[in-house]
Amino acid sequence: MSSSSRGAQASEPSWGKRSDLDVLNRDIPRVDGPVKATGEAIYTHDVRLPGMLWARVLVHPVPRAEIESIDLEVASEMPGVVYVEALKEPGDAVRYLGDDAVLAVVAAETPDQAADALRAIKVKARRLAPVVTPAQALEDGAPVVSRRRDADSNVGRANERGDEAVADAALAGAVAVVERTFEIPIQHHVCLETHGHVVQPAPDDEQVTVYASTQSVGGTPRGLARTLGRDASKIRVLTPHMGGGFGSKFGPGLEGAMAARVADQTGRPVHLMLTRSDEFAIAGNRSGSRQTLKVGARSDGRLVGLKLDADKHGGVSGGSLPGPPYIYTVADDSAVASRIRSVFTATDGSRAMRAPGHPQASFAMEAAVDELAYLLGIDLVEMRIRNLDSEVHHRQLRRVAEEIGWGEHPHRDRPGRAENGRAVGIGFGVSVWGPGGRSSRCDVTIRPDGSVVSATATQDLGTGARTYVAAIVAEELGLAVNMIEARIGDSDLPPSVTSGGSVTTGSSAPAIKDAAHKAREGLEALLVDVLEAPVGSYVWRNGQVSVRGDSTRSLPWIAVCALLREPLLAQGEFRDFLHEGRIHGAQAAKVEVDTLTGRVKVLKMVACQDQGLPLNRLALRSQINGGMVQALSYGMLEQRVFDEQDGFLLSDNLDLYKIAGAQEMPEMVALIDDEDERPSVCGMAEAPVIPGHSAIAGAIHNACGARLTRMPFTADNVLETLYGKI
Amino acid sequence: MKDFDLKLPDTLEAAVGELPAEYSRDGAQVLAGGQDIVTVMKDDIEQPAALVSLQRLGLDGMQWDERGGLTIGATVTIQTLAEEASIERGLPALREAARSVGSPQIRSQGTLGGNLNQRPRCPYYRHPSVSCFKKGGSVCLAEFGFNKYAAIFGGGPSYYSHPSDLATVLVMLGATATIAGPGGERQVPLAELYVLPDQALDTETVLRPDEILTSVSIPAPAADARSSYLKYKERASYDFALAAVAVSVNRGDDGVVTDARVVLGGVAPKPWEVPAAAAALVGKAMAPEAWTAAGEAAVADADPLEHNGYKVHLVKGLLFRALEALV
Repeated sequence: MSSSSRGAQASEPSWGKRSDLDVLNRDIPRVDGPVKATGEAIYTHDVRLPGMLWARVLVHPVPRAEIESIDLEVASEMPGVVYVEALKEPGDAVRYLGDDAVLAVVAAETPDQAADALRAIKVKARRLAPVVTPAQALEDGAPVVSRRRDADSNVGRANERGDEAVADAALAGAVAVVERTFEIPIQHHVCLETHGHVVQPAPDDEQVTVYASTQSVGGTPRGLARTLGRDASKIRVLTPHMGGGFGSKFGPGLEGAMAARVADQTGRPVHLMLTRSDEFAIAGNRSGSRQTLKVGARSDGRLVGLKLDADKHGGVSGGSLPGPPYIYTVADDSAVASRIRSVFTATDGSRAMRAPGHPQASFAMEAAVDELAYLLGIDLVEMRIRNLDSEVHHRQLRRVAEEIGWGEHPHRDRPGRAENGRAVGIGFGVSVWGPGGRSSRCDVTIRPDGSVVSATATQDLGTGARTYVAAIVAEELGLAVNMIEARIGDSDLPPSVTSGGSVTTGSSAPAIKDAAHKAREGLEALLVDVLEAPVGSYVWRNGQVSVRGDSTRSLPWIAVCALLREPLLAQGEFRDFLHEGRIHGAQAAKVEVDTLTGRVKVLKMVACQDQGLPLNRLALRSQINGGMVQALSYGMLEQRVFDEQDGFLLSDNLDLYKIAGAQEMPEMVALIDDEDERPSVCGMAEAPVIPGHSAIAGAIHNACGARLTRMPFTADNVLETLYGKI
Repeated sequence: MKDFDLKLPDTLEAAVGELPAEYSRDGAQVLAGGQDIVTVMKDDIEQPAALVSLQRLGLDGMQWDERGGLTIGATVTIQTLAEEASIERGLPALREAARSVGSPQIRSQGTLGGNLNQRPRCPYYRHPSVSCFKKGGSVCLAEFGFNKYAAIFGGGPSYYSHPSDLATVLVMLGATATIAGPGGERQVPLAELYVLPDQALDTETVLRPDEILTSVSIPAPAADARSSYLKYKERASYDFALAAVAVSVNRGDDGVVTDARVVLGGVAPKPWEVPAAAAALVGKAMAPEAWTAAGEAAVADADPLEHNGYKVHLVKGLLFRALEALV
């Protein structure tokens, strides 16, 4: 194989002028759309291997218990049962409803046999006080539930910032002050594909193959190396298609370790995917919080003082919450004081989830901004602009306000009132994110027959990553997207990043661009003697190459590739100047509230986001729409419910853990902020999920004067806010 | 789910013959569309050794009589009730109730008989690891635990709310169920089909374990009656009722209400008739004052638990909206 270093490097790669782009910055249908729509796409769940066993885990039904016995005898003698292992012994404690509550693993010839075996395992346990709510955790004498064995309290060390006396003084001098306590429940990721793996064992000198539903194809071999007792290089991880992650799938987890162990022990392929109820019990969540926020403003609306006292509810983990003032600024920074601590419960630890902590912070801060605007009689959009530093936010707010009809809305500086029990309102919210970019590699291979492969060990969580792996190369080489084969989801490919923090595009796209650029220059080096122009003076477009300024000197793509005697390999790497991670967003929501029944119907949502060069406008709008949908579902419906008496997780299914469906969808408008002309790329996953529920709560308040301080905005919440609790 | 035998009898007598005289957790049960019983089995609530399918019994017909009454076979699908043009014309409230059930998939498979005989949705009852009165246990965890969806009327010792939309509207319409058993057929008014938890805990109806609900007959509504069914779903895409109202109003030439019926769903262990609400409408003009008074009368006897007091507001609001829509 020839290497791209043959030709002299004529120039650095660049995204080019937007007006010159033929492929990027347009709507590109997903390259894997047809196989996903037809069901041909193989997800980890769908993998079937010869001789494969079906494994399941047994989760203890309540969070805290002392195990007296686990009797595997009946289960292990059942038909088809191949493997049964207890993970706890008599005397062991179950300390929380999470991976610590997994009592046993079974594997059988069929899924039904595995389920039957699970049910046949006889567990005797002494149930202990559940400690599933923060209130229970904070009671005097509550059992300590922290994961740290030396912990002596259910309260983590408080993170204190600022000088409370200075903040108090500023608040005392404010013209308007609002103080509220906000309650935000724990949210599940609800990936359509639950967590899990299929592990195919192999002799020591060969690679074990692991199909994984993971956000880290590249990191998973290391995560399983110890369990499998082999070097990570002897483990190959494949994620051909994936049904969502949202931050919950960074490592193999206990379920991956169990799949690997059973495969190792039995020598047979093992399929272990969590059920939905297992998933909701042990596979992570977005932390909840309780925030008491006090904010003051001058008569012109400028914020002058702020105090936040917050508890994060991350189960046995710490949870997430960025410090105040969230996105907004206070006239004098020294007048901001906060105290944020974690309150631990005996429930599954929180994990990263799409903008960890940010939607929670947004909910409280946007509410305070709304209420101060009303107290001072200031337009909600104007109030925001006066307290946001970035001009980008200003223009985005004006844009979403225009799109949602704010100018014609009858009550912009005070809440409306219901007529005949019906009211319409509009609310707003803003977002920021810093999507990173870091080391990533990509190989582009061009073969003499004209075929092109773009390969990098990234993964497509459903975002559309696979499509730009092909499209960036297509743009550089003047080809159609379907002429490029995108290879991803394989740990043996050139390494790329774990998909978290919106880093995937900002890391992998520059490397793909770099490889494509090197490949192009490699071809141009061959053309020097043929078309008699130096490297860097060719135009690649519509499957042709021509000398810039002389279209008569040209060759079709296939003829160029015929000049190759062997495949041309171009190896690209992350180039920092091709990426910039600093994005902004604004959203608006319009709702109708029926104050007689408590029904909130979201009528319309509008989002505007910047992000530099949009690689694929269709995928970008999909991401923005997905953010609005997820935030709507979070705000309107989602609630994790524990029985507080015994500690059962009641909402361990999609009947009671309610997520929005087609009937909940409003009109949605996703606007790409094209005033942002930065010649760089970055990811877009987190920002659009941050403000949607805040804008909906603001719209409810704007409609009828009811400020909902807890989520979700279900009928009980609306009616109790309007009329009081019965 | 435990393995079970699937029985496919060709006659009603044979079907009844497969059913046990006494209730037990592993006794044979009736299978119609399977949308509820199969989930009950998957969640290990009951473990019937056999399911007796009604598929071959020809219970999937519908017949209008000459006066405008309708008889519907037990295995007519809910989707049929939602789509049938004659029902839309003659019994619009029944159509609205059918349309509000589940998702398109559930409506296409679920049946009238199955909907009327479905088991409670209380999350404690449905949780495989929880023991409760309804599952032979000795406690109702909902009473002092999570009871947002529980009953505000007729509860105790168990506090589930009845999930059937069709039951609520059929009680309002004065329907009668035909039930087949070892001794032949009997007729039971829908209003008497359901029992409260203080009368029975292992069932929600007067059906005996060896009986099969075969059809429901709805009398012809009065010519001047207008009726509707309004259901509040927390999740619009598919959900059971937080609360629902089935109402019927007759008015004289002067617009004054001469007769009314009000039945509530989702708020009691059975469809909850509120004659006081109906009485509050009679003799009044159809106007907000009367609707509000009817709402107050409807909830006068409500006895909510810790988390379901909102249903008191909700019932009033829903009844107002349902009546408003009949003007």
